[in-house]
Amino acid sequence: MPAIWYVVGFAVVSIGFVFVTIGAAWLLSHRNRGDVHKGMPYESGIDTYGDTHGRFGLSFYIYALLFVAFDIEVVFIYLWALIFRDLLLGGFVSMVLFVAILLFGLAYAWRKGVLTWR
Amino acid sequence: MTAISRTWDQLTLPGKALAILVPLLLFLTAGAVITILLFGGIVWNAILDHLEIVRLFVAVLAIVLIFIPFAFVIIYMELKIIARMNLRIGPDRVGPWGSLMSLVPGLKVLTKEDFTPTKADAVVFTWAPVVVFATSVMSALVLPFAPGLFGADLNIGLLYFFAVGGMTVVGLLMGGWSSFNKYSLLGGLRSAASIISYEIPLTLSVVGLIILAGTMSLNTIVEQQAGWFTNWYAFRQPLAVVIFFIAATAEANRTPFDMTEADSEIVAGFATEYSGMRFGFFFFAEYVNVFIVSAITTVLFLGGWNAPIELPWHVAIDINPGAYGLGLLFIIALVPVLGTLILAAPIYAMRSKTRWWVALIVGFVLFNVVAAGLTLLWAYASFDVVAGLLWFLGKAFALVFVFVWMRGTLPRVRIDQLMGFAWKWLLPAALLNLFVTALAVIVVQQWKGGL
Repeated sequence: MPAIWYVVGFAVVSIGFVFVTIGAAWLLSHRNRGDVHKGMPYESGIDTYGDTHGRFGLSFYIYALLFVAFDIEVVFIYLWALIFRDLLLGGFVSMVLFVAILLFGLAYAWRKGVLTWR
Repeated sequence: MTAISRTWDQLTLPGKALAILVPLLLFLTAGAVITILLFGGIVWNAILDHLEIVRLFVAVLAIVLIFIPFAFVIIYMELKIIARMNLRIGPDRVGPWGSLMSLVPGLKVLTKEDFTPTKADAVVFTWAPVVVFATSVMSALVLPFAPGLFGADLNIGLLYFFAVGGMTVVGLLMGGWSSFNKYSLLGGLRSAASIISYEIPLTLSVVGLIILAGTMSLNTIVEQQAGWFTNWYAFRQPLAVVIFFIAATAEANRTPFDMTEADSEIVAGFATEYSGMRFGFFFFAEYVNVFIVSAITTVLFLGGWNAPIELPWHVAIDINPGAYGLGLLFIIALVPVLGTLILAAPIYAMRSKTRWWVALIVGFVLFNVVAAGLTLLWAYASFDVVAGLLWFLGKAFALVFVFVWMRGTLPRVRIDQLMGFAWKWLLPAALLNLFVTALAVIVVQQWKGGL
């Protein structure tokens, strides 16, 4: 039996479990439409003001960019680590170069003050 | 007819439920018996032919459902241990020592109103807790609980674990975005930023371990750590354990890195607008995450199912009940009675006030405890699965205790400290660990080749 069926089975069962429980809770719980204030977002008791899906800090975006660069690196480095015992010195040098390029980018971002949360 | 309807009207609600359920159950039982008698052989043969499919269903259901008791145990640990750390008593009313207290919030959340805000994106709003919970549970697929007791032994087990576990952030972002609440959005974005930042040191810290192990299959990694506890990877990768545990704490959104639910700043983060069972599943997922993070740390660094010391002798108790013949009946009939009497005698003799029947009841309870303990000892010595499961759960729950301990002790860090720590300290430390390990492997190989 290919292992992919286990992944599929886990996805189906865990999602099904959540929906069955939410459905059971929906049957058990009481429901009340309430007035217009009930459907409002809870913002410390004050009526909401301004646009919720408006502009947001750029810092989140730059962290996401850094994350993508380093996550791709992790994918490569995992495969490299698996066969490292066959590569030894040659593999070590090439990975040092590869990581050094990425670290240069990180150092640039650090220098630019991106890593300091504002 | 009127008599029946009058009787029906006089029944209370549980009575009505029983009056419907009991005939229904009888009918179903009769149907099942007839079906088994008629088609039992065919079905049994079909099951035997497809044992792999049966194993899949059993494994999936067992691992998904085992998290319900685990979550309740962890909730109870949080309530009781943090209470003791705060010099409070904690729950002590529901059940012995308050141990059933964790069921109460579970039942409460089940019966609360599940409300969707007017402006929320209803579909995404409903799917967010599903994604968070499902990804947490799905990463348990590769956890080796005991020898032969695991979901599936993938050869990319570690990569699968990080890949699926990392998808949690999508669910948190969905919850934050769809709630149409500024605090929720802020909480979702904060959690996304912190989780993806700590994902990098988390995944990089185990690369040294992969170099040493030469595999990503978690079962093989555990098997490599057999024997004395000095074989555990924690002693060969001490820096990696520290980085991994800190990053895993942030991944599981636990104190001191729980920026996403910083209740003193942004109400409840991404969960602000949630109520009822959908809110409950966010919390369920958090406790599942706590267990899974502890379990993966156990598997990778603390030897998984292996005992910390290797006994120089091998204990094997071989009991063949058939060999005793009729004597077995006498043993079954006599041992409980004798055991109860023997254990009751000192209690009766010790205090003259003790009534004989009280002594008998205490003796009976004591006998059961002793018998259960002996059975457990026998199972531990005879079955690798039992011994492995006990060690694995013991280590994992010791780490869960550390999580609870940290929550009881440490204050929450600021978000700029949180992000700076991940990128400026943990990431360079993880890379250092990786290259030092690689260099050490090269040196050892050269030295071996030179000799």
